[in-house]
Amino acid sequence: MIKGKAPAMVQRSALKRRTFLRGIGTAAIGLPFLDAMSPAFAASTAPAAPVRMAFFYVPNGMIMDAWDLNYEGKFQELPRTLKAMEPFKDDMIQIGNLTHNTGRALLDGAGDHGRCSGSYLTGVQVKKSLVDIKSSVSFDQIVAGEIGGKTRFPSLELGMEDARQAGDCDSGYSCAYTNNLAWKSDTQPLPPTLNPRALFERLFGTGQPMTPEQRERQAMTRRSILDFVMDDTHKLESNLGPTDRRKLDEYLSSIREVETQIQAAEKDTRQVDPGMDKPYGIPADFGDHFKLMSDMIAIAFQSDLTRVVTFLMTREGSLRPYHELGIPDGHHPLTHHRNQPELMEKVRRINEYHVQQFAGFVKKMKESKEGDRSLLDNSMIVYGAGLSDGNAHLHEDLPTLMVGRGGNYFKPGRRILARRETPMCNLFLTMMDRMGVNVDHFGDSTGRLNCLDLG
Amino acid sequence: MAAVLAAGFIAVDRAATPAAPAVDTAGFNASVKPIVSGTCEQCHNASIKSGDLNLVPYLDPATVASDRATWELIASKVESGEMPPSGVARPPQEKMTALVKYLRGEFARADAAVKPDPGRVTAKRLNRNEYTNTIRDLLAVDFRADKNFPTDDSGYGFDNIADILTVSPVLMEKYLEAAETISARALGADPLPKKPLEQTCDLSTKTLRRLDYSTVEASQRIDYDGDYNILFKFPGERGADAKPVTMGFYMDGQLLKSMQVETKPSNLVAFNPQSNGEMTVFLPEGDHVFRAAFLNDDFVAQFTSDRDAYSDKKNKWIGAITFVGPYPTKVERASRKKILICDPATGDACVQKIVSQFAHRAYRRPVTPAEVASLMKFVAMAKSQGQTTEQGIQLAIEATLVSPEFLFRIERDPNPTDPEKVHRISDVELATRLSYFLWSSMPDDELLSVAEAGKLHDPAVLSAQVDRMMKDPKAEAFADNFAGQWLEVRNLDFITPDAKTFPQWNAELKEEFRTETRLFFQYVLTENRPITDFINGRYTFLNEGLAKFYGISGVKGPDFRKVDLTTDERGGVLSQGSVLAVSSYPNRTSPTIRGKYILSNILGTPPPPPPPDVPPLDVSKVGTDVSLRQQLEAHRANPVCASCHAKMDVLGFGLENYNGIGKWRTTDGKFPIDVGGTMPDGASFHTAAEMRSVLLADMPQFAHCLTEKLMTYALGRGMEAYDARAMDDIDKALAADNYKFQTLIHQVVTSLPFQSRRGELVSNKQSTGEKPKEIAQR
Repeated sequence: MIKGKAPAMVQRSALKRRTFLRGIGTAAIGLPFLDAMSPAFAASTAPAAPVRMAFFYVPNGMIMDAWDLNYEGKFQELPRTLKAMEPFKDDMIQIGNLTHNTGRALLDGAGDHGRCSGSYLTGVQVKKSLVDIKSSVSFDQIVAGEIGGKTRFPSLELGMEDARQAGDCDSGYSCAYTNNLAWKSDTQPLPPTLNPRALFERLFGTGQPMTPEQRERQAMTRRSILDFVMDDTHKLESNLGPTDRRKLDEYLSSIREVETQIQAAEKDTRQVDPGMDKPYGIPADFGDHFKLMSDMIAIAFQSDLTRVVTFLMTREGSLRPYHELGIPDGHHPLTHHRNQPELMEKVRRINEYHVQQFAGFVKKMKESKEGDRSLLDNSMIVYGAGLSDGNAHLHEDLPTLMVGRGGNYFKPGRRILARRETPMCNLFLTMMDRMGVNVDHFGDSTGRLNCLDLG
Repeated sequence: MAAVLAAGFIAVDRAATPAAPAVDTAGFNASVKPIVSGTCEQCHNASIKSGDLNLVPYLDPATVASDRATWELIASKVESGEMPPSGVARPPQEKMTALVKYLRGEFARADAAVKPDPGRVTAKRLNRNEYTNTIRDLLAVDFRADKNFPTDDSGYGFDNIADILTVSPVLMEKYLEAAETISARALGADPLPKKPLEQTCDLSTKTLRRLDYSTVEASQRIDYDGDYNILFKFPGERGADAKPVTMGFYMDGQLLKSMQVETKPSNLVAFNPQSNGEMTVFLPEGDHVFRAAFLNDDFVAQFTSDRDAYSDKKNKWIGAITFVGPYPTKVERASRKKILICDPATGDACVQKIVSQFAHRAYRRPVTPAEVASLMKFVAMAKSQGQTTEQGIQLAIEATLVSPEFLFRIERDPNPTDPEKVHRISDVELATRLSYFLWSSMPDDELLSVAEAGKLHDPAVLSAQVDRMMKDPKAEAFADNFAGQWLEVRNLDFITPDAKTFPQWNAELKEEFRTETRLFFQYVLTENRPITDFINGRYTFLNEGLAKFYGISGVKGPDFRKVDLTTDERGGVLSQGSVLAVSSYPNRTSPTIRGKYILSNILGTPPPPPPPDVPPLDVSKVGTDVSLRQQLEAHRANPVCASCHAKMDVLGFGLENYNGIGKWRTTDGKFPIDVGGTMPDGASFHTAAEMRSVLLADMPQFAHCLTEKLMTYALGRGMEAYDARAMDDIDKALAADNYKFQTLIHQVVTSLPFQSRRGELVSNKQSTGEKPKEIAQR
């Protein structure tokens, strides 16, 4: 974990792999190049399946006694909260001691919920402000920016809880920090899609198949309309103040992104059959909603529509009661339990319930085959929270579960304990390596998290 | 105050303020310093920082000018008696008064020396409500942006704040799709399926949800604009002497149609008694929530178990809804009339006229020939692809709807980067500000033509337009969006009261709550009532259901009407179910949340956030072992907590006679309700009504709070230190006219910040510490 030391992983990045392929000629693409790259898997005959990554975020911390283990190494009995993950014991790593220092107050006072959510994927301490928001590009968006061109959607941002609409969010922090996980730039959060139907239509179309001519015409029309508005915007921008211009720049960059998507869709004309009915509206039941959203994530990964997903299951400060469990109290007020057994028990049950839902998704990923591996093997799914103890707002030892092998790379089935205060951003660097994006430094990283490795 | 506090972060505009007169140091040393160092500093120092405030740096008199916001806060806390808190030795009252007097004097002196500054509003994209309403007024198309676009972020409690409304790629994608759909729907170009489709929602497949014994709800997507036959199934039968009931059929909370349903046995031989009903309605495309309900159905009150209520020998209920359609609607689409102002078949001149007229309305300003020409290219493009002229017009409309000129409200500056150059906004820009303020939508033809004739800035013309607009039904958007956010009524959609604790809670009551507050707000506005009515109006708006819930007799039927309140139980918004429900926990009241609600939304002095390790209440024992009040009082034994909670909890307890969904009560569990309390300034009360009187006694403070909220909403930006003068002027004019609500609206519209703007200071602040911190503590 010493900065500057080139970890083995870097050399095995996808970029290097491409160079390697070019060296031996395109005819070699179908060959099991992994053999040469990774002797440990010499027997594998799998084609080059891409690595996917996803973050499943749960808010308000956890009751850590039901999450943590008191040992390192191979999993024995799983803690209570993780019980539902028993069938996937050998596919996951529980990582202890990762810290988000930038979630701490550091002279900025109250607002741990706003801050931990804002810093979770960005690795910066966000600006304490109600409207003048400032964060930083989140690491998933760096990955999406680098490899997103290979898929129809560079990334997907999903959620299940609507943004709070009235009242304030957390102690002077804009709701933008808690309503969003992914940030495209330091002022541009990417709002999650909540409605299963909207996600379905985005991924698979409206359900009415179009002929190639219709598709071509739509793409052409859209492109000429985008050209028209780009032109309009450039004319407009010349005589505006800097803040107004920034607003239009956001608009322009979004247009460019949509253009890129149109191009990608033109190259990739597959009509993916999702094998599910188009959902209507948002189910009231948490489990039903989660299943629809996560099923579509699995399908999007499987059909390579995207490789990067962030999923804000509910947001920090969530007041959602869990009628599904007979819990009428809001989640956030419960987590300030003052060590009262009944309240803590309710929080444990919520934590457990969230993991149960997640386990359903993992099952689907594992059952999905890709060559002689599973889709899960080729993925890095992180299930985590921005606080550990939600009662005391602690930002160290964040609950972090890595599921999948990142392309047969990680050595799962165990709990690892990083050195105390190891920056969460170190994990991000490692994940970026696996996604083929080489970055020396991200947020407050001090190096890579090598201990996930097969070693 | 939150807005003023936040001003410190908006560094860009700071330097625009000319140097203020030097602070009176001698006065500071005499009146302020001894109290700050002798009394305040013991809690507000570098290590304790109570309320997140360290006052040590504020022993320097220069801070009175350099950090006005903090000193404003100090002055208001001392003035209200909240500081110093009980438990801390208090300097004599005359010293406290002198401190406030000195500070207010310094503020006034500083303000008088400063050149009036209107500030500036950032280019603002339409939010979801504005988009929906604008499409409605522009094209007569019912498009629900809230069902299609990502949620808008909000700031200062409102979702129309320019700085925080961003455009993400997902939103851009949605804009493009929406433009395609809307332009096709507007011209009726979306072909209907050859055969009508049939979709059934029923209880057995859980596609129909039971809300209560009389009400069912279904989420259903309607894929095409058109007429639909709605078929109902009514299982069961009631007694031979049972009366017919009226069934209402609602879409998204709006009554579409009602019909009579016979409930006595039909005398038809059937294995299971059942009857049917049918109606035809026009439904617009979109995701909708449909609700069917037997209205004022007293019959079900007798049932205590589902078993009886759904026994087909004892009761009749709504069991299934089937949608059959679409069928071509008989009426000509209003949208086509709006667009096709002449017959495009007559030639290019007409097409040009159509495109130009549309862009004119969509951009809310006159368009240039060049702009029309670039839109006409789409007509040419369509033709070159073998499409019709009408398809070309559709394409031009589609392009217009994605243009930044439509999606953003952009105001031009002659000197965009010179903060010293203040100018009036143009009449056309003023028209747009006005219509989005009062209607959350585009200007109508009358407003736009008055503006384009250059007459709108004339005070008499402007005033007449404002009067007209307040009376227009479109002003309902002002109630929904301003009052909905100011009073947090919108959160009714997000609260989930516990069904066991509050069996009366249901979807109908929720809508009744919402309607009551909306009608009340609209009445205060349209009847030009004084804003004191918000605190203690002696009337409200009720239908039979809500009147029963409130325990008020003599109101019959489902329609809302104005009802005079004859007892002291209720009066003003703080006794309305909407406000009381959104300020409670799912299973109990929270005097703290309600107190915070009053401080934030009525008095304009939101409390600072609690420290992170704040212990919450032991809820399980409330109502059984100890009263909530005893618990909360023990909770604030700590003077640091007491400083805020002294006022917050006292106000919140004033509302304890209303339970977690606003029903009147006199006991909580086995404990009698104790409402009484004494405010930090000594005012005391024993009932909710007396508390309202205490709030009324501080009318200027409520008026100022409302002014600040209205200005924030009207401008779409937070209030800055330089807005203090404009707000003071409004406050004075409002008080002078007996706090009439319309006066407040007129004052906001004629204020300097609403009518003018200036250039923006370009600073290099970005490179000097404005970046987010990346601190590694190792």
